[in-house]
Amino acid sequence: MTPTAPTAGAVTGGAGTAGGEGGLPEAATRRLSGGAWSSGLSVTDFASCLDMGMRPLGFVQGYAVMQWSWYMATGGFAGMRGGLGGGGAFGAGWGTAQRRRGQYVEQWQCPHGFVGAEHRMYGMNYELTWLEQSWATGWGLAVGRMVDEAASLGATGIVGVIDDMRPLAGVNTVEFRASGTAVAVDDAPAPAAPFTTYLSGQRLAKLFEAGFAPVSVVATLSAVQMLGYCITNYQLAGTAQVGWYGAGGGGGVGTIDQVNRAQAAARRLARERVRAQLGGDVLHGATLESSEREIGEGDLSVQCLLKGSRVRQFKDFDPLPHPAPVVRLT
Amino acid sequence: MSVRDEVRQAMGALSGGSAPGGRGATSDLSIDETLLLHSVGWEPVDMVFGVSWWSIPWGVWQWTTGEVQAASAAFAGAVDQAAGLLRGECQKVGGTGVLGVEVSVRVSSHHVAIELAGTAVKRTGRPHEGFEFISDLSARDFVLLTRAGWWPLGLAAGASFVVAPRRTVGQWASQQGQNTELPNLTEALYLAREGAMERMQRAGASMKADGIVAVKLREGRASSNIRVMQFVAIGTGVHLRAGEHQVIAPTMVVPLDERVRQFDVTSLRGSGGR
Repeated sequence: MTPTAPTAGAVTGGAGTAGGEGGLPEAATRRLSGGAWSSGLSVTDFASCLDMGMRPLGFVQGYAVMQWSWYMATGGFAGMRGGLGGGGAFGAGWGTAQRRRGQYVEQWQCPHGFVGAEHRMYGMNYELTWLEQSWATGWGLAVGRMVDEAASLGATGIVGVIDDMRPLAGVNTVEFRASGTAVAVDDAPAPAAPFTTYLSGQRLAKLFEAGFAPVSVVATLSAVQMLGYCITNYQLAGTAQVGWYGAGGGGGVGTIDQVNRAQAAARRLARERVRAQLGGDVLHGATLESSEREIGEGDLSVQCLLKGSRVRQFKDFDPLPHPAPVVRLT
Repeated sequence: MSVRDEVRQAMGALSGGSAPGGRGATSDLSIDETLLLHSVGWEPVDMVFGVSWWSIPWGVWQWTTGEVQAASAAFAGAVDQAAGLLRGECQKVGGTGVLGVEVSVRVSSHHVAIELAGTAVKRTGRPHEGFEFISDLSARDFVLLTRAGWWPLGLAAGASFVVAPRRTVGQWASQQGQNTELPNLTEALYLAREGAMERMQRAGASMKADGIVAVKLREGRASSNIRVMQFVAIGTGVHLRAGEHQVIAPTMVVPLDERVRQFDVTSLRGSGGR
């Protein structure tokens, strides 16, 4: 099964392989074709794999280094940032804004009218589609290259996948990396492409016993930028109760609607995007990592990374007997 | 059927079949938790989220002593709103309860941020019976609790933020060079504790809970100001549904296996990893 990528256009296994056209780097091909097999499995996970009839073939990896920037020179709503500081300049920014297809965008308008050049007359939440696509491309390349290596070994799947992203060289370069242990299941029909899963060892065995087959690792990043309008700005600065700016600010204590909408949108986008890739399968053991970056006074960037193992039910669920409570005497 | 046969059957399903189609589901439960829930007639539906930020006015931390009411009110409002959003998402995906809710609380000078994330669950093979609970209990704790005749109702939370008074010059002078208690800070912590615990218990009572289990506390300094003390208490309100507590009577076992250190695959990355 080719690893799924969060957005259309992201590269999946086999395309864009690091070794040039249509294959692995020559050294990798040579290394993988002979010598002792390698594995990232612990001894216990190794034993568990052998119990399941899985034979380790090799410790496979994929890497992709991407140029990484929070702001695009063109496109999206990046051009608007300068226009939000004052109402008069907003029009110019607004005119250049292009809403992308399906992009989440929401706007707020100041209830006060023109106050001054520093007053935020408009606010906006919008999805950073270019950031999401860059992430999906980097992640898809790394995972795809890992799957390519496994496929060249004739693997049935890759277990114990680890993936992450980190700055590599300088502030605008990030490295995506994925690794796992390619395994072969003897006497079993091979899937169209190797399956991938974050699970290994006993947890993987329990998955099979529960009637689920691993399909692929799935991950998506959603990013929403919030450019606060005056009320949000005052609320985040704690000055919503000062003078007549309190209108709409709840007298100081109150919900910060624009932030809440941005946070909810980031989570909803991540979940919807993952769901769109499942095709009726289940995302198992999902994890959500969320974070915010303050990109200026009253402005936030919210990111959510949702990932897990896509699994498919291959047999009816065997219900466990009612669990018996025990006390361990150790 | 042996696990080897099941693996072969699974590979056969992957090589021949296609995705079942329809709406995919997400779950942050482990396979153990999923199996355990199934054994007692529940199943995961989807991951659900509730996030709420509430503002705290500028200046409430300065030139005052005692409880900062605005901060406590912002916390209460944010928890209520986040729980409401979580409940709304759960009902939208067809769940009747939310289990294993991860609670994140962040308090800064000007806002409180509450983030709730969990998995919506529903009863297997039974019609929708309306919303039942939000709980930060794990699936294992949920199974044990319900088996004992108790039922989760919702998250009960309380918080209090207190600014301790400054010491008098006389107190300051007399405490110099001594290892001695600082009563102003101790009392501030106690005041915050009483406020938070009382609010949490009141929240439990308002949902008609008999008690609150698995209470988690967060206490200590609230900000860069060393005189601001916080106390946050969050747990799951429960009530006795079966009329009386059901004795579980666990079986004692003596495991004969050696404890094996679990392998963490992320350790392969070394310290340079995430």
